[in-house]
Amino acid sequence: MSFAADRAQAVVRPAHAAEAPAPPLTYVGIVTRAISFAVDAAVIQFVAIAVAGTFALILSVLSPPDKFDGVLLVVGSAAYGLWLVGYFVVFWSATGQTPGNRLFQIRVCRAVDGTAPSAGAALLRFGGLILAALPLFAGFLPILLDDRRRGAHDMIAGTVVVPAPPVEITSRR
Amino acid sequence: MGGSIGAAVVRPTVRRINRTAVATLDGLLASRLAGDVVERLAASPLAARAAHGALQGPLVEALAGDLVRYRVADRLLSEGLVEQTAARVLEGEELEHVVQAALESPTVERLIASAIESRLLDQAVVRLLESDDLWLIVDEVASSPAVTTAIAQQSAGFAEQVAGGVRARSRSADAWVEQRARRAFRRRPAPPPGPEAG
Repeated sequence: MSFAADRAQAVVRPAHAAEAPAPPLTYVGIVTRAISFAVDAAVIQFVAIAVAGTFALILSVLSPPDKFDGVLLVVGSAAYGLWLVGYFVVFWSATGQTPGNRLFQIRVCRAVDGTAPSAGAALLRFGGLILAALPLFAGFLPILLDDRRRGAHDMIAGTVVVPAPPVEITSRR
Repeated sequence: MGGSIGAAVVRPTVRRINRTAVATLDGLLASRLAGDVVERLAASPLAARAAHGALQGPLVEALAGDLVRYRVADRLLSEGLVEQTAARVLEGEELEHVVQAALESPTVERLIASAIESRLLDQAVVRLLESDDLWLIVDEVASSPAVTTAIAQQSAGFAEQVAGGVRARSRSADAWVEQRARRAFRRRPAPPPGPEAG
């Protein structure tokens, strides 16, 4: 087996593998990542709308007093924020893949060893994602210019986005 | 005493005459003449009239009665003759030829066409569609593991095909956009991609 192939296999090895995997060699570009993110956004919003609609129906029957409107707004916003952050942090830190990533066969991993980022790193990456989007998405421009196709949020969290093999291949290794 | 002597002389003579008569009859039956005679008789109006008269008369009823009385059908069935005959017919080429000829015949074609165009078929279809049993069968087939698995595989295969196409195009778009951006920012071209993970 060649050295390059060996390194490539190391990327797909599970995070709990005994040997430390080598850094990945190929990185995913901005278009694939943007479409993958759009898929995730669709999933997030679909679930959020479904849940919000259900609660709205329940509240329409219960008819709480108007003075609770502010509380409900805060609780709803907090729940949405928690769902949004939790979605990315849990998926990134658990497998390195959100459902959108899985669909496009890409995954987020640590730049140094190719393993899935920790929960802290995933949280940091999400924060970096928000920051990168604030200045008219300028934080994503480095993806086009960086040799490892990293955005500002990747640089902050020390992650890269790499192609991922189909699940059945990794599970047999 | 005289009677017994006479019998002793006459009996061998009678036996000899009988044997001679039988041998003569055998010879006659084996001869070409007998064959010609039988053929002529069979082809003659006399034979036709005889058969006609026999079928008009009580012979048929008598034969039918004897068939029942002597349990001819039961005996044939018990001896397996019917099964053997059926097996021979089904295995033989004759049935295939007969069916082939029937299917190719214009008469059968006309019969099938008239059957399809008849109201009977329409009524049968309507009654079939109205029957609960049909929908029970349809439900059973639709919910059978074989059908659901096949549909799932088809759907998964199609979804995977679409996703694969989108993936390939998005990867191409990655390279295209990056190339344009690097040119716009006067950066060196991107390094060639290394081997993909997996």
